[in-house]
Amino acid sequence: MTDKEILDLYNSGQRELAFKELVNSYSERLYWHIRRLLCSHEDTDDLLQDIFVKIWSSLSTFRGESQLYTWLYRIATNESLNFLQKQKIRAALQFESMTSKIEERIDEDTLLDGDQLQRDLMKAIQRLPSKQRTVFIMRWFDDLSYEDISEILGTSVGALKASYHFASEKIKAELEKNLK
Amino acid sequence: MEIGNDIFEKIGKPSMGVPEGYFDSLKSRLESIPSAKVSHPGVWAGMRPYLALAASFAAIVLIGNALLRDTVKNQSADPFYSEDSYADIISITNPELLYNESEFDMEELSDEDIINYLIESGVRTEHLAYAGDQY
Repeated sequence: MTDKEILDLYNSGQRELAFKELVNSYSERLYWHIRRLLCSHEDTDDLLQDIFVKIWSSLSTFRGESQLYTWLYRIATNESLNFLQKQKIRAALQFESMTSKIEERIDEDTLLDGDQLQRDLMKAIQRLPSKQRTVFIMRWFDDLSYEDISEILGTSVGALKASYHFASEKIKAELEKNLK
Repeated sequence: MEIGNDIFEKIGKPSMGVPEGYFDSLKSRLESIPSAKVSHPGVWAGMRPYLALAASFAAIVLIGNALLRDTVKNQSADPFYSEDSYADIISITNPELLYNESEFDMEELSDEDIINYLIESGVRTEHLAYAGDQY
Protein backbone atom coordinates (compact mmCIF):
# COMPACT_ATOMS: atom_id res chain seq x y z
CA MET A 1 0.00 0.00 0.00
CA THR A 2 1.33 3.46 -0.89
CA ASP A 3 1.70 6.31 1.59
CA LYS A 4 -1.20 8.12 -0.06
CA GLU A 5 -3.46 5.08 0.26
CA ILE A 6 -2.52 4.72 3.93
CA LEU A 7 -3.33 8.37 4.59
CA ASP A 8 -6.59 8.18 2.64
CA LEU A 9 -7.59 5.17 4.70
CA TYR A 10 -6.72 7.03 7.90
CA ASN A 11 -8.63 10.14 6.87
CA SER A 12 -11.66 8.07 5.89
CA GLY A 13 -11.96 7.02 9.53
CA GLN A 14 -10.45 3.55 9.26
CA ARG A 15 -7.62 4.58 11.52
CA GLU A 16 -6.68 1.23 13.00
CA LEU A 17 -6.57 -0.39 9.58
CA ALA A 18 -4.42 2.44 8.26
CA PHE A 19 -2.05 2.02 11.20
CA LYS A 20 -1.86 -1.71 10.51
CA GLU A 21 -0.85 -0.97 6.92
CA LEU A 22 1.69 1.55 8.14
CA VAL A 23 3.21 -1.07 10.45
CA ASN A 24 3.35 -3.53 7.54
CA SER A 25 5.10 -1.02 5.31
CA TYR A 26 7.51 0.57 7.75
CA SER A 27 8.20 -1.55 10.84
CA GLU A 28 11.02 -3.49 9.23
CA ARG A 29 12.61 -0.48 7.52
CA LEU A 30 12.53 1.59 10.68
CA TYR A 31 13.85 -1.36 12.69
CA TRP A 32 17.00 -1.52 10.54
CA HIS A 33 17.43 2.23 10.58
CA ILE A 34 17.29 2.34 14.39
CA ARG A 35 19.36 -0.81 14.80
CA ARG A 36 22.22 0.72 12.82
CA LEU A 37 22.12 3.80 14.98
CA LEU A 38 21.90 1.96 18.32
CA CYS A 39 23.92 -1.18 17.52
CA SER A 40 21.71 -3.27 19.78
CA HIS A 41 18.77 -5.51 18.94
CA GLU A 42 17.28 -5.25 22.44
CA ASP A 43 17.43 -1.45 22.60
CA THR A 44 16.00 -1.22 19.09
CA ASP A 45 13.13 -3.50 19.98
CA ASP A 46 12.25 -1.39 23.05
CA LEU A 47 12.58 1.91 21.27
CA LEU A 48 10.66 0.82 18.19
CA GLN A 49 7.62 0.05 20.35
CA ASP A 50 7.79 3.56 21.87
CA ILE A 51 8.24 5.12 18.44
CA PHE A 52 5.14 3.43 17.02
CA VAL A 53 3.14 4.48 20.08
CA LYS A 54 4.27 8.03 19.34
CA ILE A 55 3.41 7.64 15.64
CA TRP A 56 -0.08 6.38 16.51
CA SER A 57 -0.75 9.21 18.94
CA SER A 58 0.53 11.94 16.61
CA LEU A 59 -0.69 10.63 13.25
CA SER A 60 -3.74 12.88 13.55
CA THR A 61 -1.42 15.91 13.57
CA PHE A 62 0.29 14.91 10.31
CA ARG A 63 -0.57 17.72 7.91
CA GLY A 64 0.98 16.24 4.78
CA GLU A 65 3.52 19.07 4.48
CA SER A 66 6.23 16.45 4.07
CA GLN A 67 6.13 12.91 2.75
CA LEU A 68 4.79 10.37 5.22
CA TYR A 69 7.95 8.34 5.04
CA THR A 70 10.30 11.25 5.81
CA TRP A 71 8.00 12.18 8.72
CA LEU A 72 8.30 8.63 10.10
CA TYR A 73 12.07 8.62 9.64
CA ARG A 74 12.28 11.99 11.39
CA ILE A 75 10.45 10.65 14.43
CA ALA A 76 12.55 7.49 14.47
CA THR A 77 15.83 9.39 14.03
CA ASN A 78 15.05 12.00 16.68
CA GLU A 79 13.96 9.37 19.18
CA SER A 80 17.08 7.29 18.50
CA LEU A 81 19.41 10.26 18.88
CA ASN A 82 17.65 11.27 22.12
CA PHE A 83 17.98 7.71 23.36
CA LEU A 84 21.71 7.69 22.54
CA GLN A 85 22.21 11.09 24.17
CA LYS A 86 20.54 9.85 27.36
CA GLN A 87 22.68 6.72 27.35
CA LYS A 88 25.77 8.87 26.87
CA ILE A 89 24.89 11.13 29.81
CA ARG A 90 24.01 8.14 31.96
CA ALA A 91 27.39 6.57 31.12
CA ALA A 92 29.24 9.84 31.81
CA LEU A 93 27.54 10.21 35.21
CA GLN A 94 28.67 6.71 36.06
CA PHE A 95 32.19 7.51 34.83
CA GLU A 96 31.94 5.08 31.96
CA SER A 97 32.67 5.59 28.29
CA MET A 98 29.73 5.14 25.93
CA THR A 99 32.06 4.56 22.97
CA SER A 100 33.77 1.60 24.63
CA LYS A 101 30.37 0.25 25.71
CA ILE A 102 29.15 0.31 22.11
CA GLU A 103 32.40 -1.24 20.88
CA GLU A 104 31.91 -4.07 23.38
CA ARG A 105 28.36 -4.48 22.08
CA ILE A 106 29.65 -4.77 18.51
CA ASP A 107 32.28 -7.35 19.53
CA GLU A 108 29.77 -9.41 21.51
CA ASP A 109 26.80 -9.07 19.14
CA THR A 110 25.97 -12.59 18.05
CA LEU A 111 23.38 -11.23 15.63
CA LEU A 112 26.03 -9.26 13.73
CA ASP A 113 27.15 -11.57 10.98
CA GLY A 114 30.30 -9.85 9.75
CA ASP A 115 34.07 -10.40 9.51
CA GLN A 116 36.58 -8.43 11.59
CA LEU A 117 36.89 -5.69 8.97
CA GLN A 118 33.13 -5.15 9.03
CA ARG A 119 33.16 -4.99 12.82
CA ASP A 120 36.00 -2.45 12.62
CA LEU A 121 33.89 -0.47 10.16
CA MET A 122 30.93 -0.51 12.57
CA LYS A 123 33.18 0.67 15.41
CA ALA A 124 34.63 3.45 13.25
CA ILE A 125 31.08 4.59 12.42
CA GLN A 126 30.17 4.66 16.12
CA ARG A 127 33.19 6.85 16.91
CA LEU A 128 31.95 9.57 14.55
CA PRO A 129 30.27 12.69 15.93
CA SER A 130 26.51 12.22 16.18
CA LYS A 131 25.53 14.20 13.07
CA GLN A 132 28.18 12.68 10.79
CA ARG A 133 27.27 9.20 12.02
CA THR A 134 23.57 9.77 11.33
CA VAL A 135 24.22 11.13 7.85
CA PHE A 136 26.63 8.31 6.99
CA ILE A 137 24.19 5.64 8.17
CA MET A 138 21.26 7.17 6.29
CA ARG A 139 23.23 7.61 3.10
CA TRP A 140 25.38 4.49 3.01
CA PHE A 141 23.32 1.90 4.88
CA ASP A 142 19.78 3.09 4.22
CA ASP A 143 20.48 4.33 0.66
CA LEU A 144 18.42 7.47 1.27
CA SER A 145 18.86 10.35 -1.14
CA TYR A 146 20.42 13.58 0.10
CA GLU A 147 17.11 15.32 -0.62
CA ASP A 148 15.23 12.92 1.65
CA ILE A 149 17.89 13.13 4.38
CA SER A 150 17.69 16.90 4.10
CA GLU A 151 13.94 16.76 4.71
CA ILE A 152 14.34 14.34 7.62
CA LEU A 153 17.16 16.16 9.42
CA GLY A 154 16.23 19.70 8.36
CA THR A 155 19.75 20.34 7.03
CA SER A 156 20.81 21.63 3.62
CA VAL A 157 21.98 19.16 0.99
CA GLY A 158 25.37 20.92 0.81
CA ALA A 159 25.93 20.53 4.56
CA LEU A 160 24.92 16.86 4.36
CA LYS A 161 27.39 16.20 1.54
CA ALA A 162 30.14 17.83 3.59
CA SER A 163 29.19 15.74 6.65
CA TYR A 164 29.22 12.56 4.57
CA HIS A 165 32.61 13.45 3.09
CA PHE A 166 34.18 14.10 6.51
CA ALA A 167 32.60 10.94 7.91
CA SER A 168 33.99 8.80 5.05
CA GLU A 169 37.46 10.28 5.46
CA LYS A 170 37.47 9.62 9.19
CA ILE A 171 36.30 6.05 8.74
CA LYS A 172 38.94 5.41 6.09
CA ALA A 173 41.64 6.82 8.39
CA GLU A 174 40.44 4.54 11.23
CA LEU A 175 40.47 1.48 8.98
CA GLU A 176 43.94 2.35 7.67
CA LYS A 177 45.19 2.51 11.28
CA ASN A 178 43.78 -0.96 11.93
CA LEU A 179 45.33 -2.40 8.78
CA LYS A 180 48.86 -1.16 9.62
CA MET B 1 48.45 0.88 3.62
CA GLU B 2 46.37 3.52 1.87
CA ILE B 3 42.71 2.88 1.41
CA GLY B 4 40.95 3.94 -1.78
CA ASN B 5 37.52 5.44 -2.19
CA ASP B 6 35.99 2.08 -3.10
CA ILE B 7 36.80 0.62 0.32
CA PHE B 8 33.17 0.72 1.44
CA GLU B 9 32.06 -1.32 -1.56
CA LYS B 10 34.90 -3.80 -0.96
CA ILE B 11 34.07 -4.27 2.72
CA GLY B 12 30.34 -4.42 2.07
CA LYS B 13 27.52 -3.62 4.45
CA PRO B 14 27.74 -5.72 7.61
CA SER B 15 24.81 -8.07 7.76
CA MET B 16 22.87 -7.97 11.00
CA GLY B 17 20.47 -10.67 12.04
CA VAL B 18 17.38 -10.90 14.19
CA PRO B 19 15.98 -13.85 16.19
CA GLU B 20 13.91 -16.23 14.09
CA GLY B 21 10.34 -15.08 13.49
CA TYR B 22 11.12 -11.72 15.05
CA PHE B 23 9.49 -9.51 12.44
CA ASP B 24 6.21 -11.46 12.53
CA SER B 25 5.95 -11.09 16.29
CA LEU B 26 7.06 -7.45 16.06
CA LYS B 27 4.32 -6.64 13.57
CA SER B 28 1.61 -8.27 15.62
CA ARG B 29 2.83 -6.42 18.73
CA LEU B 30 2.90 -3.08 16.93
CA GLU B 31 -0.47 -3.64 15.27
CA SER B 32 -2.04 -4.05 18.69
CA ILE B 33 -0.96 -0.56 19.80
CA PRO B 34 -4.25 1.18 18.84
CA SER B 35 -6.38 -1.36 20.70
CA ALA B 36 -4.15 -1.32 23.77
CA LYS B 37 -4.86 1.49 26.13
CA VAL B 38 -1.73 3.55 25.84
CA SER B 39 -0.83 4.58 29.32
CA HIS B 40 0.76 7.98 29.41
CA PRO B 41 2.99 8.58 32.39
CA GLY B 42 1.01 10.72 34.81
CA VAL B 43 1.91 14.31 35.55
CA TRP B 44 2.94 13.23 39.03
CA ALA B 45 5.37 10.57 37.68
CA GLY B 46 6.98 13.09 35.38
CA MET B 47 7.26 15.77 38.05
CA ARG B 48 8.50 13.46 40.79
CA PRO B 49 12.26 14.05 40.39
CA TYR B 50 11.74 17.82 40.13
CA LEU B 51 9.49 17.87 43.19
CA ALA B 52 11.94 15.77 45.14
CA LEU B 53 14.77 18.17 44.34
CA ALA B 54 12.59 21.21 45.07
CA ALA B 55 11.59 19.62 48.39
CA SER B 56 15.22 19.04 49.32
CA PHE B 57 16.13 22.67 48.57
CA ALA B 58 13.10 23.91 50.48
CA ALA B 59 14.05 21.71 53.44
CA ILE B 60 17.59 23.09 53.44
CA VAL B 61 16.37 26.69 53.28
CA LEU B 62 13.77 26.16 56.03
CA ILE B 63 16.20 24.44 58.36
CA GLY B 64 18.90 27.03 57.67
CA ASN B 65 16.40 29.78 58.36
CA ALA B 66 15.21 28.14 61.60
CA LEU B 67 18.77 27.65 62.82
CA LEU B 68 19.69 31.25 62.03
CA ARG B 69 16.61 32.56 63.86
CA ASP B 70 17.40 30.39 66.83
CA THR B 71 20.94 31.73 66.92
CA VAL B 72 19.80 35.34 66.66
CA LYS B 73 17.24 34.77 69.45
CA ASN B 74 19.93 33.29 71.69
CA GLN B 75 22.20 36.17 70.89
CA SER B 76 19.65 38.83 71.82
CA ALA B 77 18.56 36.99 74.97
CA ASP B 78 22.04 36.38 76.28
CA PRO B 79 24.45 39.34 76.47
CA PHE B 80 27.26 36.82 76.46
CA TYR B 81 26.77 36.52 72.71
CA SER B 82 28.75 39.08 70.83
CA GLU B 83 29.00 39.70 67.11
CA ASP B 84 32.01 37.40 67.08
CA SER B 85 29.71 34.58 68.09
CA TYR B 86 28.38 34.48 64.55
CA ALA B 87 31.29 32.14 64.04
CA ASP B 88 29.15 29.59 65.88
CA ILE B 89 26.89 29.50 62.86
CA ILE B 90 29.62 27.81 60.87
CA SER B 91 29.46 24.63 62.86
CA ILE B 92 25.73 24.23 62.38
CA THR B 93 25.70 25.10 58.70
CA ASN B 94 27.84 22.09 58.01
CA PRO B 95 25.88 20.55 55.08
CA GLU B 96 26.27 17.08 56.50
CA LEU B 97 24.68 18.21 59.75
CA LEU B 98 21.83 19.82 57.86
CA TYR B 99 21.14 16.67 55.89
CA ASN B 100 21.23 14.60 59.05
CA GLU B 101 18.83 16.90 60.85
CA SER B 102 16.54 17.37 57.89
CA GLU B 103 13.11 15.83 57.94
CA PHE B 104 13.55 15.22 54.23
CA ASP B 105 15.16 11.87 53.75
CA MET B 106 17.81 12.20 51.07
CA GLU B 107 17.78 8.45 50.66
CA GLU B 108 14.41 8.87 48.96
CA LEU B 109 16.29 10.52 46.13
CA SER B 110 18.04 7.72 44.30
CA ASP B 111 20.96 8.07 41.88
CA GLU B 112 18.48 7.12 39.18
CA ASP B 113 16.25 10.10 40.15
CA ILE B 114 19.21 12.44 39.95
CA ILE B 115 20.35 11.04 36.60
CA ASN B 116 16.80 11.29 35.22
CA TYR B 117 16.53 14.84 36.51
CA LEU B 118 19.80 15.82 34.82
CA ILE B 119 18.76 14.15 31.56
CA GLU B 120 15.28 15.68 31.56
CA SER B 121 16.65 19.10 32.42
CA GLY B 122 18.65 19.00 29.19
CA VAL B 123 22.14 18.60 30.59
CA ARG B 124 24.67 17.62 27.92
CA THR B 125 27.88 15.68 28.18
CA GLU B 126 29.78 18.91 27.43
CA HIS B 127 28.33 20.40 30.64
CA LEU B 128 29.44 17.36 32.59
CA ALA B 129 32.94 17.60 31.13
CA TYR B 130 32.99 21.30 32.10
CA ALA B 131 31.80 20.53 35.62
CA GLY B 132 34.44 17.80 35.86
CA ASP B 133 37.15 20.33 35.00
CA GLN B 134 36.13 22.45 37.96
CA TYR B 135 37.18 19.87 40.51
